[in-house]
Amino acid sequence: MSQRFRENLVRVIAIQVVTLVVLWLLQQRYAG
Amino acid sequence: MHWINWVIVAVYLVWVVGDGLKRAKGATNIEAYFLANRSLPWWAVGLSVVATPLKEITLIGTTGQGATDGLKFVQFYFGLPIAMVILGVTLVPFLHGAKVYTAYEYLERRFDARTRSLTSLLFLLSRGMSAGAIISAPAVVLSAIFGWPLTWCVALIGVPTVVYTVLGGVQAVTWADVKQMFVIVGAVLAMVTVLVMRMPVPLDDAFAIAGAAGRMQVFDFSFSLTNQYTFWSGIIGGTFLMLSYFGTDQSQVQRYLTAKSVDEARSSLLMSAYWKIPLQAMILLLGVLVFLYYTFSPAPLYYNPAHQQAMAAASPGTLDSLTARYGVVTTARADAARAAAAARATGDAAATAAALDAYRAQEREAGAVRAVALEAAGKVTGQPTRDVNYIIPRFVIDHLPLGFAGVFLAAVLAAAMSSIAAELNSLSTATVVDFYQRRFKTDGDDAHYLAVSKWATALWGAFACVVATYAASLGSLIEVVNRFGSFFYGSILGVFLLAMIPRARALGAFVGLIAGMATVGLISWQVPSIAFLWHNVTGAVTVVTVGMLFSLMAPTPESARAA
Repeated sequence: MSQRFRENLVRVIAIQVVTLVVLWLLQQRYAG
Repeated sequence: MHWINWVIVAVYLVWVVGDGLKRAKGATNIEAYFLANRSLPWWAVGLSVVATPLKEITLIGTTGQGATDGLKFVQFYFGLPIAMVILGVTLVPFLHGAKVYTAYEYLERRFDARTRSLTSLLFLLSRGMSAGAIISAPAVVLSAIFGWPLTWCVALIGVPTVVYTVLGGVQAVTWADVKQMFVIVGAVLAMVTVLVMRMPVPLDDAFAIAGAAGRMQVFDFSFSLTNQYTFWSGIIGGTFLMLSYFGTDQSQVQRYLTAKSVDEARSSLLMSAYWKIPLQAMILLLGVLVFLYYTFSPAPLYYNPAHQQAMAAASPGTLDSLTARYGVVTTARADAARAAAAARATGDAAATAAALDAYRAQEREAGAVRAVALEAAGKVTGQPTRDVNYIIPRFVIDHLPLGFAGVFLAAVLAAAMSSIAAELNSLSTATVVDFYQRRFKTDGDDAHYLAVSKWATALWGAFACVVATYAASLGSLIEVVNRFGSFFYGSILGVFLLAMIPRARALGAFVGLIAGMATVGLISWQVPSIAFLWHNVTGAVTVVTVGMLFSLMAPTPESARAA
């Protein structure tokens, strides 16, 4: 695996985690 | 619609088709026509991988789902990043390294010709039909909104797409996808911005109201095989579906076969993994914002103008009384929503809870009136009246500032065209490479195959337009398309998984494929309540299990020689 693939992989994992956390926080705050 | 909106749509069409025609100069042989001589940069391929499955249904149906069901549909995509990473390290090196034109060509090298032919045929069947459905979905909606004949709407979407795909090949398809992604994302962001700016209460209060109406529920952790969208069906079933779609469906595989190298192909898949969940969440959020807009503003009783017209003609008294009742209820709902926002501003928890309860009651009442109205329209028209696909187009035409309707329509056309173009291009590739070149004319020269490929693309385009013209209104089309594919997808994935197991044999692959499809067919017939995402898991597991059993029974090359 190349350096670029590894870097992209880390970015992908990071953005998914951030998105899921944001969605979770939205649900926790607003879902009644 | 204002003429400025039409100018925007016309400029978009000329831009995409004109650029596609320019790309035609480079398509001088079938490797250039189908694979762009494996020369495209990873970011362009990546945007194409994102754009191709982003069907126009995403802009019309998914936003409508956001308005009616909230954010929970995003769970459907939870498996996508996992699938992309798995594919990047497993199947992509096999397929790109094998220098094949189609994914099914690889199966002949690994197994035999009949497995290649069967998988390719299944692809042609499912994608041929879905190309028609992809044109039909927006055509039906545009026809109802603007009152045009359906044939015109099919032609508006189908003809420009067929022209640039036939002449420009995969180069035109990919570079059109890049432009289309910018149009789609730009349109979504512009609409979200306008809706946020027009919100009559602070966004924090508005989301609380959406939450009270059940629109902010994202995660469902229940392990239910019959619930369509849960966290687990998204993670497990969704991973299998995405592995099948991006790993074995020629319309996707062909995208990354055009990349310069295995590494660039992998990176292009990761770009899709990067964007998909945030983009889908944004699209669903757009639907939630439209729901909020109609909470505070007068909402139409019928989003589909055809329902309104049918009721006005057949039962004007009922229509008038339902419209008046709905007006009263929605006004009370808007007042209750404003009261809830005001209660939140005071910080009084008990008053806020009571105000939100009062709002929920009004929301239920409004839903009940609409249900009665839709049932009445159903009796008059004799057709299903699910109108989720009409919510956003109606909102765009009636309420967005000048120019936005044109941008939205261009985005819907962009999403439809990017999906159809990729499908036509891949249908033509599978037809020519897996059947014509393989079975009917093995000794043609490049010019002959190029001409046949262009004819095949044009014929598939004509077929898709005919299917679209005659396809009836199919309700939530995104599910229909996915459900149809799920009958084959998991099983075809199973064959590719077998291909990576050294002990697997051709007999096992073929019998396993038949067994996988039969099992999925049997389950969906006998237990129709099972959510379709699970069919992908069932199909893949059955193929691998049955395939390995038959492979272990088949003689190895050594034992055959000894015998």
